[in-house]
Amino acid sequence: MRQLGDALLYLLTGFFYWWWTAHLTVFGTAPNFIFLAALNIAIMASPVKAVAYGFFLGIYMDLLGTSMFGGYALTYTLLAYGVYLMKKHFDMSAPFSQMVAALIMSLVSMLFYQGLSLAMSAMPPIKLKSFIAEPFWNAAAAPVVFYFLARLKKRFGIL
Amino acid sequence: MNKEKDLTDYAAVFFIFLSVLLLLFPSTKVVYSARLIAAYSLYPALHYGAKYEYYARNVPENFLSLIRTDQENRALKEKIKELEIYRQSADAVFAENSRLSAALGLSARLPWKGVWARVLNKEPSDWYGSFFIAKGSLNGVKQNDTILGFENGRAGLVGRIFEVYPDFSKALLVTNGVSSVICSPEKGGFDALAEGKGSWLLKMNYVPEDSELVPGTELFTSGGGLLYPGGVYLGRVLKVYPKESFMNFITADIKPAVNVNNLREVFVLSRHKAD
Repeated sequence: MRQLGDALLYLLTGFFYWWWTAHLTVFGTAPNFIFLAALNIAIMASPVKAVAYGFFLGIYMDLLGTSMFGGYALTYTLLAYGVYLMKKHFDMSAPFSQMVAALIMSLVSMLFYQGLSLAMSAMPPIKLKSFIAEPFWNAAAAPVVFYFLARLKKRFGIL
Repeated sequence: MNKEKDLTDYAAVFFIFLSVLLLLFPSTKVVYSARLIAAYSLYPALHYGAKYEYYARNVPENFLSLIRTDQENRALKEKIKELEIYRQSADAVFAENSRLSAALGLSARLPWKGVWARVLNKEPSDWYGSFFIAKGSLNGVKQNDTILGFENGRAGLVGRIFEVYPDFSKALLVTNGVSSVICSPEKGGFDALAEGKGSWLLKMNYVPEDSELVPGTELFTSGGGLLYPGGVYLGRVLKVYPKESFMNFITADIKPAVNVNNLREVFVLSRHKAD
């Protein structure tokens, strides 16, 4: 049952991200809900599950993209592992720390993905405006996503 | 705690290894196709970019064909919307044209509306002169309504309604000896008179001698005529006769747009219905 819930959450995350980016972008920018899901799941779920979630959410992003395949999977896997290490030193359950983590980790993951993309396929995939706007969107939306996932965890026992 | 840490490390190494494998090794056609279908289903606009050819490499042709069909479909839908706007604009222009033509008493190019009618009866003695059609005043047919025929998918002038009865009407063909049509080439330049000869040909008179009329020139009814709406295809110049010494114009033979021998149905154009 839990696995089913996890699968459903994965699909819903993908669907929600698609719906938001298709209908609610502001000047072509929007919060990256896949990234936020990977981050918040890494904060609240068990580390193994968090790493697996990071990988599969990354695969979803890779499926949608036109650049290299596997780049986001690697980025979000490392993100989940990084959060696992950070959790030992910081309290990440507070909204402010989630916002700071979302801001910093967004930039780090985008830079990592950009570097990876330049190295692997010599194509810069991320636009400058995304670089500028997305970390702030993510920081703003991070506590909301965390709250929503925490409710799901409490209510249905998933994650 | 150490067990969980070990497990996490193993999981991280496993998924990182898997990701690097995906990055390093070229994807199979299945992966390319899955990416294409998934991305195109959710973000079709992505596929109009400059990187499309690069992205679509290694994807089987049948998938690409599906995508191209969908893109073509989207483009055509846009085109239909655009044409609908033009159509509405054209309707407004036609309405204005009708109103101004009525006010100025001019014969104008009006929308072609009317009824289809079957050719009922042709008399051998008047083969190129007239025939009866199976629509009359009860169907809205009025005297002098224009009659069109279709040949090779193109509309051409056949004649006009001469006598109207409740259920049928008599058509006077352009090839009739008493018929005449003011016509001009498509590019304009001059008006001339095409007259029926009671045979399959029309005679074109009063063509200015300095006109550059050559065989093959297509002729259309002139907007200046009162009997027929302008712009209806009349026929093609077959032969141009040299100027005779006692006349200051030239003449030509015209092959009518529609061969009346082949007509089974005609379209009666009602200028009155456009109002």
